Amino acid sequence: MSGEGLVDAERRRFNRLALAPSLIVLFVIAGLPAIYLVVISLTPFQLVNPGSSTDFSSPLRNYLLLPGDPRFVNSLWVQAKLSFWGVLLQVLFGMLLALLLHTQSRVVEFARTLFLIPMVLPPIVVAIIWKLIYTPDISPLYYAASLLNVTMPSLTSSVDFALSAIIIADTWEWMPFTFLMVLAALQTIPEEFSEAALVDGANRLQIFFYITLPFITPILVISGMFRLIDSVKAFPLVFLLTGGGPGSVTEVTNYYAYLLAFDFNEIGYSSSVTIVMLLLVVAVSLGVVWMGRRREAMA
Amino acid sequence: MSGGMSGPVRRSASPRRLVAIGVTLIVLLSPFLWLLQMSFKSNDLILQFPPPLIFTPTLQNYASLWQGAFAASFVNSLMSASFSTALALVLGVPAAYALSRWAGRGKHALSFAILVTRMAPPIAFTIPFFLFYRWIGLLDTVTGLVLVYTSFNLPLVIWMMQPFFETVPSSLEEAALVDGASTRVVFLQIVLPMVAPGIAATAILCFLYAWNDFFFALILTRTNARTAPVAVVNFMNYEGWEWGKIAAGGSLVMAPVLIFSLAVRRYLVSGLTAGAVKG
Repeated sequence: MSGEGLVDAERRRFNRLALAPSLIVLFVIAGLPAIYLVVISLTPFQLVNPGSSTDFSSPLRNYLLLPGDPRFVNSLWVQAKLSFWGVLLQVLFGMLLALLLHTQSRVVEFARTLFLIPMVLPPIVVAIIWKLIYTPDISPLYYAASLLNVTMPSLTSSVDFALSAIIIADTWEWMPFTFLMVLAALQTIPEEFSEAALVDGANRLQIFFYITLPFITPILVISGMFRLIDSVKAFPLVFLLTGGGPGSVTEVTNYYAYLLAFDFNEIGYSSSVTIVMLLLVVAVSLGVVWMGRRREAMA
Repeated sequence: MSGGMSGPVRRSASPRRLVAIGVTLIVLLSPFLWLLQMSFKSNDLILQFPPPLIFTPTLQNYASLWQGAFAASFVNSLMSASFSTALALVLGVPAAYALSRWAGRGKHALSFAILVTRMAPPIAFTIPFFLFYRWIGLLDTVTGLVLVYTSFNLPLVIWMMQPFFETVPSSLEEAALVDGASTRVVFLQIVLPMVAPGIAATAILCFLYAWNDFFFALILTRTNARTAPVAVVNFMNYEGWEWGKIAAGGSLVMAPVLIFSLAVRRYLVSGLTAGAVKG
């Protein structure tokens, strides 16, 4: 029927008109910058030396320098430690919190919202909050320690504790995220499962390990992966609490790239560091998408 | 055991559990509450230990903030967050509708591209934007911030609005089309009003993401377009550690976020996970 053909053509024209502006704008403000970043990473561009932005004489120079740069290698290692402990603690405590709050009560439902506060705070405010906690003169933590006759070292300027201080603050900020995801998963477990297990004489610990845990494992993995991706972005905490120090104990790759570009003016080299970081993020994101699809296929 | 018969996984709360929840809540929120109480104290009182349990709250920190340059930064934050939200909605809502009605190839590739834009560390965009703005003179302008914020808000809108459009029954649209209405009219007069709550939730999330930004504003602004988060941090560097003002500034920056995000908490997770998991 020609009428339907007309409707289809009209619908296609509408779709094109609706999509085109977004795709063009996205290309200009996300696509072009990404391409430009790659191009710049092939030059030895320094801000003080404008001519260097078009110097493609040895395009892979930056990338070849990377493996021999001890500060870059160290930053990857710091990032790995921060990500590993941060994700582990967030998944563990988020799960425990979800188990604690998985119950039916009006009061508890209201409390759940309050538990989300650390996650929704602006990241810089989280950094300010922990700056207060870690500054000895004004910190209730140091006061409490002095009451117990414990002399606490200055956490954020200590080689041994600076990274742990950041991990603690990061865990505080993002535990609500894993909590929320796990809670959603817990609410989908059919009650008959644990009821049947109870009738069979299983205790609570057994129910947790044989019923609850297998059920929520996929969501634990996925929320952990999301935190893993986002942990690469940890900037305000490092910026405000330690500035990457002492030395380069807390200098994550993101922070190193920032220093390179906007402190040392090594734009070209910083871009190559950023590209490597971006590739790592894309690899993890692909993993998340793949797992999400597999989960859909299984469901 | 009557309370336990509904199953241990989902029973009603026992008093012991309620106490445990209360204690956990107080412990977890104490760092946040510490900042809040500090913003109502004079500087002498802040340095006083043991901290007095009862003190006369003062608004002097907030008053001095409002008389200083902080007010202008607050307005900059409001403007850049609102404009980028509006721009992202105007562009992204029709695109999300078209995508939700489109079963063609390329949908997965497009979703993944959108996911990557959301996941990329901000520094990846900062370097090109910084160089480009320096060249065309958009450094330290609200316009510059709006464009950067749109680069992550537009993908968020496109991704978040699709499920809302999918809930609109296609029979409604077909009936109107048979009656001779154009797709544009169907979209504007039938579909859009039905997804209004979704648009509101998406708008709030966009606003929050832009409002919360620190990194872009730190690098792309100096004094004219400086946003509130950057202004608060500047209290630490230049004005000699005025803890009362820092606490008050921090509290002001988090106020809109707390109000809005509690209003849209149902959508918080889907906004954060941006595409890979279907809630």
